[in-house]
Amino acid sequence: MRRFTSLVAATAALLSMTALAGAAETANIWVRSDGSNFMPKIVEAFNKSHEDQIKLDIIPTGELVQKYATAVAGGTAPDGLALDLIYTPAFAAAGQLEDITDWAKSLPYFKELSPAHVKTGTYKDRVYGLPYSADSSVLIWNKNLFKKAGLDPDKGPTTWAEIEADAEKVNALGGDVKGFYFSGSCPGCNIFTFTPLVWASGGSVLSDDGSKATLNDPKLREAIDFYRDMIKKGLVPEGAQTDTGANFFAAFAGGNIGISPSGAFAIGALNTQYKDIDYGVTFLPGKDGGWSSFAGGDNFVVTKGTPKVKVLQEFLDFSYSLEGQTLLASLGSLPVRGDIAKEALKDLDPRYQIAAEAMAKGQTPYSVVFNDIINSANGPWAQMISEVFYGDDVDGAITNAQDTMQGIIDGAAK
Amino acid sequence: MSSISAKSDRDAGAQAAAAKARPRVDRSQWIGLLYIAPAIILVAIFFVIPLVMTIWMSLHNWPLMGGHTFIGLDNYVAITKDTRFWNALKFTLYYTVIVTIAIFAVAFPLALFVEKPRPLNGLYRTAFFMPVVVGFASASLLWAWLLNVDAGLFSPAAFRLGLTEKKFNLLATFDPAFWSIIVMVVWKVAGFTMIILMTGLQSIPGDLMEAAKIDGASGWQRFTSITLPLMRRTLALALILSVAGSILAFDQFYIILRGGPRNSTLTAVYWIFNQSFVSFKLGYGAALSVVLLVILVVISLVQLRLLRNPEGT
Repeated sequence: MRRFTSLVAATAALLSMTALAGAAETANIWVRSDGSNFMPKIVEAFNKSHEDQIKLDIIPTGELVQKYATAVAGGTAPDGLALDLIYTPAFAAAGQLEDITDWAKSLPYFKELSPAHVKTGTYKDRVYGLPYSADSSVLIWNKNLFKKAGLDPDKGPTTWAEIEADAEKVNALGGDVKGFYFSGSCPGCNIFTFTPLVWASGGSVLSDDGSKATLNDPKLREAIDFYRDMIKKGLVPEGAQTDTGANFFAAFAGGNIGISPSGAFAIGALNTQYKDIDYGVTFLPGKDGGWSSFAGGDNFVVTKGTPKVKVLQEFLDFSYSLEGQTLLASLGSLPVRGDIAKEALKDLDPRYQIAAEAMAKGQTPYSVVFNDIINSANGPWAQMISEVFYGDDVDGAITNAQDTMQGIIDGAAK
Repeated sequence: MSSISAKSDRDAGAQAAAAKARPRVDRSQWIGLLYIAPAIILVAIFFVIPLVMTIWMSLHNWPLMGGHTFIGLDNYVAITKDTRFWNALKFTLYYTVIVTIAIFAVAFPLALFVEKPRPLNGLYRTAFFMPVVVGFASASLLWAWLLNVDAGLFSPAAFRLGLTEKKFNLLATFDPAFWSIIVMVVWKVAGFTMIILMTGLQSIPGDLMEAAKIDGASGWQRFTSITLPLMRRTLALALILSVAGSILAFDQFYIILRGGPRNSTLTAVYWIFNQSFVSFKLGYGAALSVVLLVILVVISLVQLRLLRNPEGT
């Protein structure tokens, strides 16, 4: 099936290329499938208004890294790609990316660009990635269910205790309705939505420079107990335990979940695809208040040695314009330019403001082995996630994960 | 006397003819080589060259991205300390033993069943063989749905029928998850083993059986003294195919279980995949592949030796 799709894509590309006049250039870019809501639309808008063209390929999220690496080895890499920002250090360290420091610093609004992106896009003081799309983790709740359960539908929970109490009330509605949902076997979902609970309470899972794993932080243990408690009370559906991310968004969108940690992307997706669900957006709280967020999204990176840098620059200039930022925001990607964020969001769903604020003050772990220690379905983070929420030996699982994670970090530093 | 001389004359004549014909023999050898050339080229391109490259890569620190450096046998030294690989291998062997027994336990009766002429035989054979033609990945996706606790078939059905108190998550703990995979693989593969065993059964001459029957041998005696010994080679083939396939298992564990619950179903190939494409260590992955290849060759040789005919053929 995938081969067929790519065949169709290739044919379409060939047709569009022959249709173009000789002078205009076409640059090929990739985006992970998470960006399939906004990327095709902005590429379409760019192609309509520019002589140079962009050809877009959408790659399954879990396979982008290997596909890109093998494409580089085979000489068929795209000219640029929107890369999950956490991978930028690893790609830059491997010497696959064009140093775009001069281009980046020449942008008049460089200082206004999303700090989380710029931090991960910088490797050894050189810039290899520029912010493209942004997604921050937030907490969403179902207002209909809150109303039915006798809760104030306009007041989201602000502490862990409130989350649990609200979830219990919603859960009491019975039937297929459950209080809380999270993807219990999805490392990526949990670094995105679970660690902010830890951060907001003053804990951490990784040191700032990525050199030390800190899974033995007592705050992490408290957050785990918070989830375990909700599982024990039956507030979480059975399927959550083995959900590797397929239901991360779909469970809440089904309308039977009271509260779920999610991301800004959910606002765009709910507004366009699930119009009947009335939901609220708030910050992921700390144990006794405060809040945090995972500032995620994509950095735009340029393949080393590509001759099409000019086209990519045009495309980025367009994306950074007010028109581009507004278009991206309306499709679920938060603005990455701080100076015009307010303006870009002004006519949109006010719930985006919460997500934008979360983005601006969110955190992003920095590590060249992020895939290995966090995102891998069999890495230490994934193993810990699946053991601590549903297993019996929480402390053993944490110690084990801590040692494995530190081992991988040390092994890569050699 | 005359016959002897005649014979030697003939020998001499034959030798002379052979000497004269030598260039022609050479030519026919070349033609023979020409005939097998496509096979040699295919084997070289798709087996020998990749194998040599894999061995070459295994001697390097070869990341998925960026340059590589020669490090000699360091990867192999690292493997000896890689407990997770050895655990994965241990699990793989455990899986291989269980699944092979399960496949034979199902395939042999099926083969006995479909071998005898009976009405609707074609239908039975087709039905049993059908899952084999489904790709392993597609079959895994199908079963991933069947086994899903919320939207699947088994758990919700058992719950609705009142067999379980609440929906039971088959994939959440090791034993149900592992046995679910075994059932799925047997469903998928048994038909193939059945066909192999059936051809073996059909090659047993019918008069042998009749003679044994006349001599008063019971059904069990005929099975153990005639069927099994005469099927030695067929069994060896089916066994080697099943064992080799099981040791290389990957798709079903990757697609249905993602190596879970809690990484307890990571197979050797899964670990190689992870090292190569998750940790981006292609060189190390290549070294692991070479180790696995050696293990597989040894196991196959042992099986061939054990199942050799007593006469040594």
